[in-house]
Amino acid sequence: MPVRIEALGPDHRPLMTGFQNQHSSLVEYLKRYALRHATKDLLARTFVAIDDAPTGPRLAGYFSLATVSVDRAAAERHPNLTRLPRFPIPGVLLARLAVDTRVQGQGLGRYLFEEALGRTLQLAKVGPVAFRLLVTDAIDATAARFYERHGLVQLSDEYPCRMVLDLRPIIEP
Amino acid sequence: MVADTITLAVASHVSNILLTMARFQALTNNVLDAELEMLRKRLGLDRSQKAELLREVAGLAAWVVRQAEQGREIQARDAQNVEPLVHPALERVRARKARPVGQSLTLSDSEVERLTAVLERPFNPPAGLRAALASLAKVGRHPPKLRWKKAVAA
Repeated sequence: MPVRIEALGPDHRPLMTGFQNQHSSLVEYLKRYALRHATKDLLARTFVAIDDAPTGPRLAGYFSLATVSVDRAAAERHPNLTRLPRFPIPGVLLARLAVDTRVQGQGLGRYLFEEALGRTLQLAKVGPVAFRLLVTDAIDATAARFYERHGLVQLSDEYPCRMVLDLRPIIEP
Repeated sequence: MVADTITLAVASHVSNILLTMARFQALTNNVLDAELEMLRKRLGLDRSQKAELLREVAGLAAWVVRQAEQGREIQARDAQNVEPLVHPALERVRARKARPVGQSLTLSDSEVERLTAVLERPFNPPAGLRAALASLAKVGRHPPKLRWKKAVAA
């Protein structure tokens, strides 16, 4: 059965408990904070991948989106960004992206990244706000390589985990 | 003087609304109480068994909502008479099921055209980004089929 992407809601609570990932922080975020952040605190919105497995629906992965502002001075090594006036550069933060350990290596991470990128591009193109970057913080070297393959580059030596994708070439008319 | 008259008129209008709302509230609470009381008697429960009443009503409602979520129509049949269960709450359930919030991303035709144009112009993204954009521009993009491995011991 196909995987479907849904905005995280209270209905998903029973599915969250079974989620497994090698990074305990990603598991803990989903189980303890994601729903609260999405519905109460309005800090980030989480989208979950639900797999309708024969044994019942399972939460196979998730990603969270929020807004972010990048210090213009931190973007010195990016020629296109240094041309910008000295204001903070707004962006969408791919705050977390995680795939259950038991279904890793099957393309779900790539699919979730595409979903996050597609939603970001939609918002950038037709939404009521302007922003320039897709930003993420790579949790480890494997994640950094994954994001590098998708065009994100390290922001600066000062923030070694922070990676950015300049959206202008993709969204300019 | 004129201002006083207007203030008085507004105050009277507001108090009328409040009065109407209070009456409406009282009426709905009374109706609800009467309905629950009727159900209690029909289900053979004592006055002290309010929690049981709510549990049983919730159980019945949950079954109805589950059927509606699965796209089933609920009908009362008696020989040739068929009466479908119609309720705004069930319509909401069906509408939500038909188009859940935040379901898989669907790009409009113009968005797909725009992405295709981006890929065709001199723009040299890394292979992964190009593949992601091409995938987004593809009509009928599908998620991967997953095979669940056994849990890895911690």
